[in-house]
Amino acid sequence: MTERQRFLNTLRRKPVPGRVPTFELEFYLTMEALGRVHPSHRRFGQWNQMSETERHLHLLDQAETFIAFARKYHHSAIHVNAQPWSNDNLITVLQHCRDLAGDEFALLVYCDPTFVIPNGNDMEAFSARLYEDEAGLKAEAQARMEYDIFRMEQIAAQHNLLDGVVMCSDYCFNTNPFFSRDMFAEYIAPYLKQTVDACHAMGLATIKHTDGNIMPIIDMLVQCAPDALHSLDPQGGVDLAQVSRDWGDQIALCGNVNCALLQTGTQAECEADIRRALRQGMARGAGFVFCTSNCAYTGLPLARYELLHDIWWEEGVYPCTSA
Amino acid sequence: MQILTEISENLQKGKAKIVTQLVEQALAEGVPADDILQVGMMPGMDIIATKFKNNEVFVPEVLIAARAMNQGTALLKPHLDSASSVIGKCVLGTVKGDLHDIGKNLVRMMLEGKGIEVIDLGVDVPAEKFVAAIAEHQPDCVALSALLTTTMGEITATIAAIEVAGLRDSVSILVGGAPVTESFCQEIGADIYQPDAASAAEAAKAAILAKKAA
Repeated sequence: MTERQRFLNTLRRKPVPGRVPTFELEFYLTMEALGRVHPSHRRFGQWNQMSETERHLHLLDQAETFIAFARKYHHSAIHVNAQPWSNDNLITVLQHCRDLAGDEFALLVYCDPTFVIPNGNDMEAFSARLYEDEAGLKAEAQARMEYDIFRMEQIAAQHNLLDGVVMCSDYCFNTNPFFSRDMFAEYIAPYLKQTVDACHAMGLATIKHTDGNIMPIIDMLVQCAPDALHSLDPQGGVDLAQVSRDWGDQIALCGNVNCALLQTGTQAECEADIRRALRQGMARGAGFVFCTSNCAYTGLPLARYELLHDIWWEEGVYPCTSA
Repeated sequence: MQILTEISENLQKGKAKIVTQLVEQALAEGVPADDILQVGMMPGMDIIATKFKNNEVFVPEVLIAARAMNQGTALLKPHLDSASSVIGKCVLGTVKGDLHDIGKNLVRMMLEGKGIEVIDLGVDVPAEKFVAAIAEHQPDCVALSALLTTTMGEITATIAAIEVAGLRDSVSILVGGAPVTESFCQEIGADIYQPDAASAAEAAKAAILAKKAA
């Protein structure tokens, strides 16, 4: 069974033999880990001036970087992007990934048209629109959704290229969601559900990510029927054992090693948290992807990520042995 | 007074237009501006803040209530004795290396809702800028925000810079942001940590009042 199959089976909550699958939503530590600039850290100010050959080589180099870190850390899936960003470049990088690694990894791309928590400058205007511009906001939500589905259709039309999407609009703070349940039902859920359904119709798996305390809206997220929830943020008070118990029969779970702890905790605290996440996530025997509760972000000490990886390698094998 | 109750109720619903109409009407009827603020608007904002803390309302409700408050306050300003309407001053910013402003802006709105004047230094603020602002504005408190785990260290560095500048004893220091915890607050020698904007503003107000009473 390839890592790709193990990952996709896990999203379908089917048991997989051996190690619990792992991946990262983003793995930015490529310079330290591999001596390669992460694609998201690259800027191509003279892209249009480059020859076709040079552009092709840059996109190939990005694909090689994705494959290299996935192999080094035994990831089962890769969230692929492309710089400069365009759907055509994305398709090219995906094709390079398939050429380089065949069916070894599940390939995922970003697709989330739903409204995200606005930034500090836009928050007030956006909030006012929730009350005063219902029609305009819904028209915008619809247009964003149609555009993203169109993008996915373009990619999905390429044979055996894309396996799934990561849906990364953040809805929640540590304390509670930005949107009330009524607002979520009105402005988010219908568009999230339609996007999930459209992706499923294209044969694509769906992983819904949001930071923060999802518990007040978790039932609504599950009803939108993505295959998995990511990142089950412990900083937002999300209890993996409880979520697994209450929702694990309906949805796969991805997470939830505490990112902040990896940065600031002692070695012993980190080891304990990594083992806790393995133990709680693997308790059901299926439907769990082990990873951080956000991503391997810029600035995270690589040694701490490698600690997570090493414990997973030793102990993240079904049946779980982490104490 | 009925009109002050109406101002409070409409402020809580975020009805900015109605709030401004009612404020204009109250002023025309001779209601003192200070009463409109202290009896009408600020209690309305307090109710919203309490509901927010209890997860009964969410950020958008708070923001539109704050917008109504701001629009009403703008009408009141020419009529207010600034000394009586402002209880204290706070310098606020997101620390160096961190560009996130959502939490900081929420805290600003809540502080303003408590009658605290805010000097907002923005995002990516170096320690020396906080120090300069404290020296210039002589605030009662300083609020330091960080969303990134990687920038939490800048909170520590900023507090150290305030200490070195000899300004530490003049201010209460509030810290907050997604990765910040009570134990981190204690570890770095800050004074106040609260997990949400409403509680932070309440704690700031309490610290200011305690300082004034001392």
